Parts: sequence; C-alpha cells; structure tokens
Amino acid sequence: MLGAALAVARKDLKLALSGAQGLVQTVLLGLLLIFIMSLSREPGEMSPPLAAAAIFWLATAFGQILVFNFLYGLEEAEGARLGLLLSPAPTQSVWLGKAVAGWVLLFCCQLVFAPAAVAFLGQSVAGSVGLGLLVVAAVDWGLCALGSLLGALSVGRSSRESLLTVILFPLLVPALLAGIRLLETVISGRGLEAVGAWTGTVVAFDAVFTAAALILFPFLYTGEE
Amino acid sequence: MAQGLLRLCRVSRFYGERAVLRNIELVLAPGQALLVVGPNGAGKSTLLRLLAGLLPPSEGEITTELAPGEIGYLGHKTLIYPKLTARANLAFWQAMFGLPRDDAPIEAVLARVGLSRFADEEAGVFSRGMSQRLSLARVFLTGPRLLLLDEPASGLDPASAAMLRREIRAAADAGAAVAWVSHNVAADLAVCDRVVLLRGCRVAYDGPARDFDPSGLAGECVC
Amino acid sequence: MIRLCALAAAAVSILAQYAIWFYAPVEETMGEVQKIFYTHMPMAWWSLVSFVVVFVASILYLAKRRDVYARLAGAAAELGVLMSGLALATGMCWAKPIWGVWWTWDPRLTTTLVMWFVYAAYLLLRASDVGGQRKDTVLAVLGIVAFLDVPLVFISARYWRSIHPAVLGSQGGGMEPEMWLAMAANLVAMGLLWLALLAARTKQLAAGAAVTALLRHGASRN
Repeated sequence: MLGAALAVARKDLKLALSGAQGLVQTVLLGLLLIFIMSLSREPGEMSPPLAAAAIFWLATAFGQILVFNFLYGLEEAEGARLGLLLSPAPTQSVWLGKAVAGWVLLFCCQLVFAPAAVAFLGQSVAGSVGLGLLVVAAVDWGLCALGSLLGALSVGRSSRESLLTVILFPLLVPALLAGIRLLETVISGRGLEAVGAWTGTVVAFDAVFTAAALILFPFLYTGEE
Repeated sequence: MAQGLLRLCRVSRFYGERAVLRNIELVLAPGQALLVVGPNGAGKSTLLRLLAGLLPPSEGEITTELAPGEIGYLGHKTLIYPKLTARANLAFWQAMFGLPRDDAPIEAVLARVGLSRFADEEAGVFSRGMSQRLSLARVFLTGPRLLLLDEPASGLDPASAAMLRREIRAAADAGAAVAWVSHNVAADLAVCDRVVLLRGCRVAYDGPARDFDPSGLAGECVC
Repeated sequence: MIRLCALAAAAVSILAQYAIWFYAPVEETMGEVQKIFYTHMPMAWWSLVSFVVVFVASILYLAKRRDVYARLAGAAAELGVLMSGLALATGMCWAKPIWGVWWTWDPRLTTTLVMWFVYAAYLLLRASDVGGQRKDTVLAVLGIVAFLDVPLVFISARYWRSIHPAVLGSQGGGMEPEMWLAMAANLVAMGLLWLALLAARTKQLAAGAAVTALLRHGASRN
C-alpha cells in the first residue's frame, strides 16, 4: 500500500509542479484573500494576531479546496481512476497518496501565505517559527486527511467545486479553530497555557479523520460514474 | 458449463429505472477470445465494466478466481496522464501494479505497439490512434490473465488494427481470456473463438464464432 | 403506527401546551420569555437524536446495502435540520431579551450551528446529482463523517471560549418541579411528533422508490 501511495503522490506532485497551473491559481487566490482581508483595518494599524491567524487559515482552507479538486481532477481527465481501481494496490493507497501530495502542495502555498500575512496584516512574529511550522504541518494533515476523503466526492459525472466548499468548511471547524488559536499563540507569544489542550484537539482531529478515511474511502472511490 | 475465470450468474444492471442489462449468463474461459457485438446502447460497455468489477451488478452474482490486478481494461477513455511522457505513464502503472521498477518491459511493450520513437514525448500531444496504442501498451505491460477491451481499434489505422488483432490472438493463445467489444465484425470474427450478441439488454446469441452469421446485423455493425 | 404516533403526539401536545401556559409558574427573573425554553429544548434534543439516527443508519447502509437505511438516514437528516434550525431560531428569540444579544459564543450554540451547516449541506447533496449512481453511498459516508465531527466541534468550541471569562451562566438553573414536569411533557410530545414525522417521511420515500421499481420491472414484463 505504501509503495502505491508513494507512486500516486510522486506522480501527482510531478503533474502539479510541471504544469504549475493548479498551484499558481491556489497561491494567487490565497494572496488575494489575504490582501482583501487586510482592508478590514485602517491604514497604518496592525491587525490583531487572532485576526491575522484567522485570515491565514481562511486562505489555506480555500486553497485546500482547489488543491484537492485539482488532484482528483487529474484522474478524471482521461478516466485514469478506473486504472487505479483495477491495480492490485488497496484503494486506500489512492487516498493516502493524494493526501500526502495535497499536504506538500498546501504547505508550499502556505510558505507564500505566511510572509504575505505578515506583510499585509502588519504582524511581527514574537513566538518561535519552528513551533509555528510544526503547528501548521499538524493542522494541515487533518485538513488533507478530510480533504482527500471528500475530494473523492467530486469524481464522476458531476463535479461541483462549490458543493465541496459547503460540505468541507463546517467539518473543518475544529481543526481551523485549533489552528487559529495555536498560530495566534505563535505570533503573539502569549497564551501558551492553552497550547496543550489545542494540540490535543489537533491530534484527535487528525487521528479520527485518518481512521475514518481509511475505512470509508473505498466506499467513495469506485468505478461508478 | 466449464469452470471459467469469471462467471456471471443472472446479472442485471439498471441505471435509475432504465435497464441496461437483464439476466446475463456468461462464463469467460482462459485461452478464449470472445467478441462482444451489438447495436449502440445494447449494454456492451456496461457488460465490460461489470466483468472488470468496476460496476457492481444491480441483481445477480459475479464470481471470479482472478486476483486483484490481473485484469487489463481498455475503455473509451485512454487512462493516460497527458502531461507525462509515454514512458512515465507506463512507469507509473508499473509502480501501481507493484511490479519491480524496470525499463526493459516498458521498452518491450512500447516496441510491440510501435511507439518506441515517441517514448519521451508528452502523451498529451499524441493523436487519438497513438493514445490508443499507448493504452494498449499499458494493458500488455501488466501481463493480465483477463483482457477487457472496449472498442480497442477506435482511432487505429488499418495496419495498427491488424497489429491489434494479432496481439489479441497471441494473448488468447498464451492462455489469457479476452473479451472484446467491436463494431468491425467482418474483420474481427476471424481471430476470435466465440461471439456474444447483445440486443435489447439481453444476450441474443452466444456461441462459436464460426457458427455466427453476421448478415443479421445489417446496419448495426460493419459486416 | 404512524397514525397512532401522530394521534398520541396531538394529545400529549395539548397537555404539554397546557402545562406550559397554565401549570408551570412564570419564572421570576426572565418572565414570560422563559416559556420559549419548553419548546426550544425538546427541539434541540430531538434534532441531536435525529443526527444519531443518520449516523447509525449510514453505518447500517454501508454494511448491509439495504435502501431502507438510506431512506431512514435521509428522513432523519431532514428532521434534524428542521428541528435544529427551529431550535436555533427560538434560542435567538430567547437570548435577545435575556442576554441582550442575538448570538453569543457558547459551545452548545456553536455546535448546533455547525451541525446545522453540515446537515444542511448533506440535504443539498441529497437533492443534487452528486455521486450519480453512488449517491446513497456518498451520503452514507458523509453522514458518518459529519457525526464524528460533532464531539470535536463541541470540544474546540469550549476551549475557544474558556480563554475568555465566561460571561453567561448555564441556562435553566434553579427550575421548580412544576417546570421540570412541563419540560418532560414537552419532550415527550415533541418526541412523538418526531417519531410520527420520521416514520411518515421514511414511508413516503419508500413509496417513491417503489414507484420507480414498478416502472423498472413493469417494463421488464412487457
């Protein structure tokens, strides 16, 4: 399973980075969101760290929708999904491969969003950058586990990105709340006492939806149109 | 009936309230090339998807002694990633099917379908016929015990179509089961062992190829 | 069964309404407004039960592939969205005069709102053509995932608040015995109504499916 998952992830990353179309669109949309949200403060003022963290995760959440639509769209263009299903590898390896590829792509996008958020929203990072990266990576895994599962919704005859947004966003609420709080802590350097509880939430979210996806994905990803 | 690789028992398939296949009985035997013919909408493609296990039957039962990964399927779509080269496409399927990473088999199948010269070009620039040949290469690469080919000759020039017929015959002679949808009955009848005619969602003929009279198909196929 | 449930619901509802307006005393600090609570809480409760039904029916559908479970999940989701929506609306009507705001960050409120969003999206999906032939499977997966999310939403919503001091005490503290009795009557009445609606809607969906099946097999006999 791991070999096949790696093959899927490697192939997807190659396609995403060679064409670069999918990734560029995601980055542009995120930057636009951050810029527009920066209008919510008077010129010269700083946005509160909480607002900056929320805007960062909002950009990430929208980026995630585009990333997973792109990743699953790859298989639909010439019907490659059928080939994946006929391979001896378990179907879950497709989920895992796409989740890993999405995780890498999302992280790349965030590497652009983070300085943009600092610049447009007038932030100065007081906490540790390393901790920030760790937080982002952990929350991203939860987003990608669920995104890769529900991205499979958009396969077949009717793929509607807008529908995926409506379904995915409310489900992501726990991960986003945790991500926002933890990132606020990193930016402001305050509120460290709550880190433990939020870390627990992130770990629980990651674990629950990784397990759920491993069980449920084969039901979603089938040869039916 | 003889023990087959794959057996369909009273299988029906519906799309919503519309029936596509009704009460199909079919056994696929190793070493046998089966030609599936019939007018448009007779359920040929659906039958192949059922055989591949890509669609569950609405009613009835499918039993198989095939392990996962032993089916080679070629559908209406080419299953190609247009942004990858022909070689990279095949290398991906090699990895997905758990085969050892090895260039030699890839070169061999590319030569078989006559694409060696284009191995390092992006598959997206291929013509319809070349894409179809790359698809065939993918099917041959994994050495399947059951080949399911849905109009494999579409887009192929006469020489390539003849190559395809030779390959299909060779695969069957090597012990694989082949089920094969085609509209070019006149030419394909010669290389197959058995014919199934689908009409009105049912099997209208199932028997040896030599006893099959294609004249009744006037207007439905090239005869 | 449906008729019996509906009749019982009507009878108990009359009793429950009487209990609200004439039996239970008027709450001292909140006044008449507090009576919304007798309708609000049963709806919130039974909407949660609806979502549990969606969850269980979805698991059963994936395990057994019987259409009846898909229909049950669909009917329960409709009721859940309806009741949690009404619970939210009545809750707002209560919050405005008591707390002075229409909406505040409270774990229960937030969880209910997020669940309302999730299951409204579920219904949207049911009405759309997503998944094509696999729609019931897709919905069952979503029904399971949505319910797994509920405790996570609740926990994170609680942490979110706890960083700031809680402004509002828990609701409904210090209720008199008559009030509890009125509440129980309303819970039962709403439950019977819920059961009747659930059964009726499931039956209706089954009838629709039966018509489709008749079309299918009727054509096969010709």
